[in-house]
Amino acid sequence: MTEAPVVAAPGPARAPGPRRGSRWLAVLLVATIAVGAYLWVTTVRWQRSSAEWEGKAHEYAEEVASLRMQLDGANTELQAARDQLSTATARITDLANEKAQLGDENVASQQYLDYQTQVSAAAATVASALGQCVSGQEQLVGYLKDADQYEAADLGRYERQVGALCEDAEQANQALQRELRP
Amino acid sequence: MRSGPRSLARRALVVGTLFLTGALGGCGVLPPMPEPVPSDIVPSTPVGLSPAAGGDALSPDGFDAVERMAVRIRNVGCEELSTGSGFAIDEHTLITNKHVVADSKDLEVSTYDGHDITVGATSTAGLADLAVVRTTDPLPSHPELAGSDPKPGDPVTVVGYPAGGELTVTEGEVMGTTRDPLNANLGEVLLTDAPVEPGSSGSAALDDKGRVIGVVYAKTADDNSLLVPLSTLQDMLADDTAFTPAKGC
Repeated sequence: MTEAPVVAAPGPARAPGPRRGSRWLAVLLVATIAVGAYLWVTTVRWQRSSAEWEGKAHEYAEEVASLRMQLDGANTELQAARDQLSTATARITDLANEKAQLGDENVASQQYLDYQTQVSAAAATVASALGQCVSGQEQLVGYLKDADQYEAADLGRYERQVGALCEDAEQANQALQRELRP
Repeated sequence: MRSGPRSLARRALVVGTLFLTGALGGCGVLPPMPEPVPSDIVPSTPVGLSPAAGGDALSPDGFDAVERMAVRIRNVGCEELSTGSGFAIDEHTLITNKHVVADSKDLEVSTYDGHDITVGATSTAGLADLAVVRTTDPLPSHPELAGSDPKPGDPVTVVGYPAGGELTVTEGEVMGTTRDPLNANLGEVLLTDAPVEPGSSGSAALDDKGRVIGVVYAKTADDNSLLVPLSTLQDMLADDTAFTPAKGC
């Protein structure tokens, strides 16, 4: 079976070529102008923004320079303060040590003074006891010269008393010798 | 009607231009409008800044914590005077050696800056050369105790008053453990090469973090130092019966 050939029906007449071209050119021109206007506005805005940023950058640069100067000054002061602190702590340590040494000397002097006092007291005791011993012995010698006039028991008792005094003197002397340590 | 080659070219140009314009605008090739310039761009909190170097070493008066916790002890005996060192373990407790406080009529304690500290009760350990001194006045600073005894090679810092002189910090390292040549301590003691002198007895021995690892109590003939180890100190402190009141002269 064969089909009948299809024949295209004739369409409406097309617009003339130059008019369509003009329309397209108009559209192109409008688009170009729009893009150009947009670019111009954008450029102006960016220029303004750039100028503001540049101004801000200069402002911060000046602030940075100022802060750097302040930082340098602060660092110098900090170093000086650290040096002073180091000197002060060293001085405190020195003073603490001097105070401790003076305290040691004071205690040592007090102990020596106490020792001297004890020695003096012991020497005084020895001297007193020896004095009593000597005195008693002299008295005993006197009694013994006239022994006939005294009871033998009395003389013996007195001799023991004198002996006790001299024994006390001997003990006091030994105590003194112990105090006189090397 | 027929279209000629020029018309086709013009059409292609227009289409191309429109396509290019749309593409430029749509794809962002056309520059956008600038954002308004902010009035202030300084961040409120600076990022990535750390404290200045050495800031952690600051103290109320410029002295290190290790210096602030050391004390000088003057033992005023009935006939003699001796000095030693000690250190705080809390606000009112000092640790020192038993032989530092032995035969004492009066103990006088002073701090790194020369302040005098009023002393209360003193007690001594029976099985180690250790003593605990309670103070009435508060102590300026006290260190932490380390977690365990040090190992050979660990650094050690000794803070005390050698020969009763200035507060001194010396350093060395742990050499190992040894039997106590003085038989003053139960168990083994630590041997270090940190230099000490008479008067350093009772000094704190610290690790590299400033924590107590032992108590100096003697020096050897070859100028090494002997420490009561931290474990002994902790055992003694944990035992209520380990310390008994010290006997004066």
